[in-house]
Amino acid sequence: MGVLACSSGQEQSVQIQSEADLSGHRVATTAGTCYDIDLSQRKDLELHRFNNNADALQSLLNGVTDVLVEDETVFNSQIRKEYGIKIAFKGTQSFPTAFMFQKGDAALAQACTATQNRMIEDGSMARIKAYWVGEKYADEEHFSHIPEETEGTPIRVAAATATAPISFLVESDWYGLEMDILRELSRDLHRPLDIKYYDPASAILALKSGLVDVVSGGVFITPEREQEFLFSEPYHAFHSAFFVVDTEASRDSGGVLQALKKSIRRNLLTEKRWVYIVQGLWETLKISFLAILLGSVLGVGLYAMARSRRKWVRSAASLYNGFIAGIPELVLLLILFYVVFAGSGLPPDLVAVVSFALCFASGASDIYATSLDAIPYGQTEGGLALGFTHRQTFFHIVFPQALRRGLPLYKAQCVSILKGTSIVGYIAIQDLTRAGDIIRSRTFDALVPLLLVTIIYFLLVWLIGLLLKLAMPSKKVL
Amino acid sequence: MITVSHLSKTYYDPDGKSLQVLKDVNCEIHPGEVISIIGPSGTGKSTFLRALNLLDPPTGGSIIVDGEDILKKGYPVHKLRQKMGMVFQNFNLFDHMTVLENVMFAPCKIRKVSLEEAREEGMALLRKVGLAEKADVYPATLSGGQKQRVAIARCLAMKPEVILFDEPTSALDPTMVGEVLSVIRQLAGEGMTMLIVTHEMKFARDVSTRIFFMYEGVIHEDGPAQQVFEAPRRSATKAFVQRIRKEVFEVEGRDFDFLGMHTRINRFCIKYNIAEKRATADRLCDIMLQDIMADCLPMTVRITFSELSGETFLDFMVEGMERSPLQADGVNPASLETVRSLCKEIVEEPTTRGYRVKLKI
Repeated sequence: MGVLACSSGQEQSVQIQSEADLSGHRVATTAGTCYDIDLSQRKDLELHRFNNNADALQSLLNGVTDVLVEDETVFNSQIRKEYGIKIAFKGTQSFPTAFMFQKGDAALAQACTATQNRMIEDGSMARIKAYWVGEKYADEEHFSHIPEETEGTPIRVAAATATAPISFLVESDWYGLEMDILRELSRDLHRPLDIKYYDPASAILALKSGLVDVVSGGVFITPEREQEFLFSEPYHAFHSAFFVVDTEASRDSGGVLQALKKSIRRNLLTEKRWVYIVQGLWETLKISFLAILLGSVLGVGLYAMARSRRKWVRSAASLYNGFIAGIPELVLLLILFYVVFAGSGLPPDLVAVVSFALCFASGASDIYATSLDAIPYGQTEGGLALGFTHRQTFFHIVFPQALRRGLPLYKAQCVSILKGTSIVGYIAIQDLTRAGDIIRSRTFDALVPLLLVTIIYFLLVWLIGLLLKLAMPSKKVL
Repeated sequence: MITVSHLSKTYYDPDGKSLQVLKDVNCEIHPGEVISIIGPSGTGKSTFLRALNLLDPPTGGSIIVDGEDILKKGYPVHKLRQKMGMVFQNFNLFDHMTVLENVMFAPCKIRKVSLEEAREEGMALLRKVGLAEKADVYPATLSGGQKQRVAIARCLAMKPEVILFDEPTSALDPTMVGEVLSVIRQLAGEGMTMLIVTHEMKFARDVSTRIFFMYEGVIHEDGPAQQVFEAPRRSATKAFVQRIRKEVFEVEGRDFDFLGMHTRINRFCIKYNIAEKRATADRLCDIMLQDIMADCLPMTVRITFSELSGETFLDFMVEGMERSPLQADGVNPASLETVRSLCKEIVEEPTTRGYRVKLKI
């Protein structure tokens, strides 16, 4: 059967029925997955790598890509119907998938293999596979839940995907095929699980720098990875499927309002998904607020350094400012988390606060300089000559004037940090942006989560403006 | 009231260079005195004033105010400044406060006067300087003269015992100088003790009980206004009060650039509007340097012009000479006669280091 692939306006009648037909097409995949690695070797197609499969799906629906490669179980029949896509063909290759461990952690890797073998022997492996990747699997059902250990050193897990059926979040709990295996491992070792959601590239970094003990999320075994890491025995071989837009599918058309209502229900109410938004909002607010607070204080120190009499102190301050100006915030965050503080056991949100505070301090010291230095020395002299002490002169006369100049700049800096925190997902913090991602990786719906997150950021920015307006000194001085 | 002795102030550059602005200032200031501090720029007038209230702390010497050494460690400087007000060249009004707030602010915060009382006092002071109707506007909307009057009112609000005026009219448009000076004059009439650094000579002469003429980091001359202005004892004072302009040439020997000197004398005459004296000056220089005093090298030649009296002098100074070069043997009488005919007056006088011939032209 022929498949009609639509690409950005112009109609192209293209038949894609096998891997050979992919030649010359735009293929969407999730970065770092086995399909990404597999297709990278083919030079005759245009591979588009997305951060998650929700984005990849969206690109297919928008006509940015022609074909989407993903595990056949990810987009189950229900989702395929929902979004009007279908399987063009199934991949011929199978990808043995396992859990990945640090090179020096053979004990945990062997324990994992032992658990898998036990599960195969007692039949539980067959049971959960039938449940998650068998014919009967349906996303919206409720899932088995193995009681968790609570005592002992936790096994730190980097979940590199948040998509059913491998590992995914429901009401802030992890479920899925790999999670069931890990829960059995947890029970065998009498160690609780500590699961954090990383994107695939970050998960590998986290394992490398010892921040986690195991990476799960459908990790495909490659020779390169085997040189760097240890794997458990493969517990399953996944098969790829190539999805295309199903032009014959009847998209249910119940009107825009009806669709929006349905989308809101699916993205926010089902499985209490709005909780991610609330928690993410709290995380975003917490990190921004603390970073602004700490950064403002550090900024005072930096400003004092820039005003120092000693040349080397001034040089140090300007070197610091140059360094911060020259390094992207994300890179600084990654370096701090995965390199500098990797072995320190500091919680990620604290590292994020420090990272953003370091950036904020640089901007803040600039703001202090521009606003304080703009006040002529005559104002200070005028105060001193009347008999005010230095301190009184600063707080009664110079500071109120500097505040008026500096607040708009300070507000812009706060807004920039608030929006800048949207990158903390890279170090496994579930902030507001990440909350949107988590919802999207369950619903594959781009519009509602992104729109909601956008509106909330907008309101936060507005709120900052309002708060700082309150801090503006009144015109009345006496 | 204030006794200043051996006050000195040296500024140090970050790269080690130093500049001594005040060398050795000594004076005594009594209550009720109105002292104008005059002198050429760069001689330390403002620095001296700013040293008195320690805005520019001196580097040596002592200042005793009401029996207390204010340079002593731990001396409460802000207390001193409360009784020693200062009015600045650039007003230094608080830009974020209204005129009335500027005047009320320090009494409220420092003297802890109630808002009501401060407002009444403030309005009274503004009325005194003629700006009551501007009470609620911001300084940015005022003219320079108005700003300075507010600054004076603000200073008075602290009820100071002494007021230091640091060039109060230098930043003003000439049309506004009068309104500020008349306020100061009024204060002088009320018996306020004041030290005023100023370039307004007529004002200084009229209002002051005493003049400090500062020159090269010291009080070069200190006396009653009339004496300093009409019969200055020191030549530098005289040069200053008579507003004498000068150009000096060091004639080292035969190789001196005489033509260049002519050019500079010409330029000097044109600059001070005495172009008609150019030819005479040229002639006289020629005769004196090439003929009469040709054997007296090295010497210093100076052309001076007093803007006050309009007199121009050509001075020829020779070090180590005991009698006038005009009386020396071998001076050509014909040349001497030409000189006599060219100038209005010839003065021959010994100086501390030699002998000087002054030709008035």
